[in-house]
Amino acid sequence: MDPKLIDGLRAIVGPAGLLADDVRRKPYESDALAYLKRIPELVVLPRDTRQCAAVMELCARHRVPVVARGAGTGLSGGATPVEGGIVLGLARMRDVLAIDPERRIARVQAGVVNSDLSIATAKHGLFYAPDPSSQKACTLGGNVAENSGGPHCFRHGSTTRHVEGLVIVTARGDVLDLSRPRADPLGLDLVGLFVGSEGLFGIATELTLRLLPIPPVTETLLAIYTSLEAACQAVTQVIAEGLEPSALEIIDKLTIEAVEASVLAAGYPQDAEAVLLVEVEGSEAEVASQTRALEPILRAFGAFELRRARDEAERARLWAGRKGAFGAMGRIAPDLYVIDAVVPRTKLAALVRATTAICRERRLKLANVFHAGDGNLHPNISYDRRDQDELARVIDAGHAILRTCIEHGGALSGEHGIGLEKLEAMEWLFTQDDLAAMCRVKEAWDPEGRMNPGKLIPVHTCMETRSALPSGGRA
Amino acid sequence: MSTRDDAPMTPSALVDYAKSLDCIHCGLCLNSCPTYRLTGAESSSPRGRIHLMRAVAEQELAPDAAFVDEMDFCLLCRNCESVCPSGVHFGAMMEHTRDALVKSGRSKPRGLVRFAFDHVLRKRWMLRLATRAGRTLQLMGTWRIFFTHLGKHGRLLADVPDIPPARERRRMPALTKAACDRRGAVAMLEGCVMPELYGRVNRAAASVLSRSGFDVQVPRDHVCCGSLHAHNGDLDGARALARSTIAAFEPLVDEHGAPAPVVVDSAGCGAHMKEYAHLFASDDPWHGRAKAFSARVKDFSEFLAAPLARDGLVRALRTDAPGQALGRVTYDDPCHLCHAQGVRKPPRELLDLVPGLERVELPYSEQCCGSAGIYSMLRPADSLAIFAPKVAALDETGARVLVTANPGCHLQWDTGLARERRDVRVMPLAEVLELATRPDGRVTASRPASGGA
Repeated sequence: MDPKLIDGLRAIVGPAGLLADDVRRKPYESDALAYLKRIPELVVLPRDTRQCAAVMELCARHRVPVVARGAGTGLSGGATPVEGGIVLGLARMRDVLAIDPERRIARVQAGVVNSDLSIATAKHGLFYAPDPSSQKACTLGGNVAENSGGPHCFRHGSTTRHVEGLVIVTARGDVLDLSRPRADPLGLDLVGLFVGSEGLFGIATELTLRLLPIPPVTETLLAIYTSLEAACQAVTQVIAEGLEPSALEIIDKLTIEAVEASVLAAGYPQDAEAVLLVEVEGSEAEVASQTRALEPILRAFGAFELRRARDEAERARLWAGRKGAFGAMGRIAPDLYVIDAVVPRTKLAALVRATTAICRERRLKLANVFHAGDGNLHPNISYDRRDQDELARVIDAGHAILRTCIEHGGALSGEHGIGLEKLEAMEWLFTQDDLAAMCRVKEAWDPEGRMNPGKLIPVHTCMETRSALPSGGRA
Repeated sequence: MSTRDDAPMTPSALVDYAKSLDCIHCGLCLNSCPTYRLTGAESSSPRGRIHLMRAVAEQELAPDAAFVDEMDFCLLCRNCESVCPSGVHFGAMMEHTRDALVKSGRSKPRGLVRFAFDHVLRKRWMLRLATRAGRTLQLMGTWRIFFTHLGKHGRLLADVPDIPPARERRRMPALTKAACDRRGAVAMLEGCVMPELYGRVNRAAASVLSRSGFDVQVPRDHVCCGSLHAHNGDLDGARALARSTIAAFEPLVDEHGAPAPVVVDSAGCGAHMKEYAHLFASDDPWHGRAKAFSARVKDFSEFLAAPLARDGLVRALRTDAPGQALGRVTYDDPCHLCHAQGVRKPPRELLDLVPGLERVELPYSEQCCGSAGIYSMLRPADSLAIFAPKVAALDETGARVLVTANPGCHLQWDTGLARERRDVRVMPLAEVLELATRPDGRVTASRPASGGA
């Protein structure tokens, strides 16, 4: 690294905001997908948009690649550092700037932790709906980058539906304020374009987010099944009958065992093959009528027991168990590969069967947790990254599962993003023309290709797109 | 487990490698960690620190000064253990690493701390001498001159509270009889620093136990449980003190000859004493004795909230709304009570039993106050920064009394609130209950004679 760059960055963010020694850079070598790693040249932790813009401007001058990072809880390698690049961490930008209860919006810095926002807005009777399982640690900026989901996105939609405005620092260090109240909704929806761009366009530093009123009544049901397939079929039927619970989550036996052994023990029955967690929210009448309609369907597919959370504490426990499922699997092996697979909701049972077979063939330990309502499965494969052979089998299984999703008319990611993990799979789903279009959008934001390079869009596609231009290179 | 002094210290011995593999790198611990919240640097987070330990063990990283600093920066509050779905034993890992860093000469314990660990905390007469000398210097007004002359070491003493007069430092009697119908017998830990600085808290706890119907026994020859040693890189010292503690309490029995519960009014000590077994290898005979001993250890609040004692306490409580005199009360969870012992409800339940007491919740009450044993003395600037949001949270509650259950937190709040000029009293739970069960007519909770800082 150029010492001038280091001094310049330190002058912007102060000594505590620049991590340059081996020990302090080391933890940034990966996100929660630990088998992909590279130590960043530097880690820079700005405090606000102004500092962030100054950092980006300096990096542009030195032509240094930049990878943005929130809390590093991502599961697709989106925050894995890149060659010769720095990590721009937003963890010190954790101020809730304003809450406007009348307009039901909040303005926050990008490093605010997802669940901290709902805690801050609770006194106004409002909450922020997208609730990824890592919500107690992940940042809202990271949620914007990945267009994160969560159990309750079945009803409320994923992050993109909750972002009203953004302040973006561009690759060159310009500040683009897309958060002013717009009387006129016409014009290009740049905010919509930016959400889910996985750090390829720029850095979102301030977010204006929609809040929802906390529903007056919430009912949480736990349906207990003797087979995973039966639970899947129940979900398919619930949706077919047009019911609208706010969340439909399936948890299988192995996961139940791991969760019940942990501090997050939720009281899931350990003799079940699968449990289905269903939540209904709304007015008292709505909840009552939905629950009445749900119960016979859940039982029709073999739920041998149906429990209702008696109070807020029990409800919170049921959810804490579900959301700690990934971490709880640490009891089984040192690493876990959380696959993010999507299929049409009618194909849930078929995919579960295929996944089980794929893992059995490769002698891998599989556990299943999924946002069944969204058709979003998380087959979880336990492994040990020190065992190269096992790691290779895990990656191979991941590919096979993704190919199966595509065959069933599904998608590559429900909520974790593409990152590095699924880069090559992009070419299985998209045509060269699709990918070329994505490259052109990327180049409009980041002509030098310094923003999280090598993620989301396969690099060679971009190079082919460029060489096809009349100028034979960069426009 | 233990590392022998004569064995060469390889980098992998610096780390409890097997435990480090329990971490699955999910990151759910990050936001629970006070040092990560302060710096935003992942090397200061639990996941980051485990990652560093594992990297040292796998020889990807040198255990240099920066590594030692990140290990020392940790408060050992163990908030991360409360949120870890994978059940990582972070506290034990950190104790192992700190001990190994000191043994291998990579971390130098500060001279005064070393001296205190090796000599003062182990001998009652040394403790008494130290506090007597300290009190004399404080009364002469030469305290500040004394510690500025000590230079770097003196900083450790800058925040030492006013040492109370001798009558408050008198030892507890070996036996305090139940003040009413006897329900049972307990043994109580008097502790090392507690009787010197907070003897009145010990006496309050004993009074409450006695008024609730329990004989309270105190082993006369016991000094220190060794928790400060374990947390600060001296596992050998901690083991020696654990053995002497177990031996001192083993003979104390109830009226049926069964081992008496060991009641502890200091959360840091109680947490450590409940985990004595992990200091000894499983084939060490002390391992079994430690397990049996730990099963007897109960926090003061935990013991009193259980049905038998609770019933006795309820009978002893005054009925003339003694809680009213206190004004609004809030409770701050000591880390080693909520995170290390999982005791959250009992202190709240006991406060709610006091007639006339108005209790409100303190936001983020499970976040560390920055006291962390001797951390506030070793790293005063970091400790202050970690304390700051706690004051802001307290302001939100409008409470007049802040209740805690650990001497370190008590001290941190006392000095911190005096510095921030807040008119809020800090009271240990034992003192609140003592007031509420006091048989004579007075319920004016006056400040202790020695006053705050």
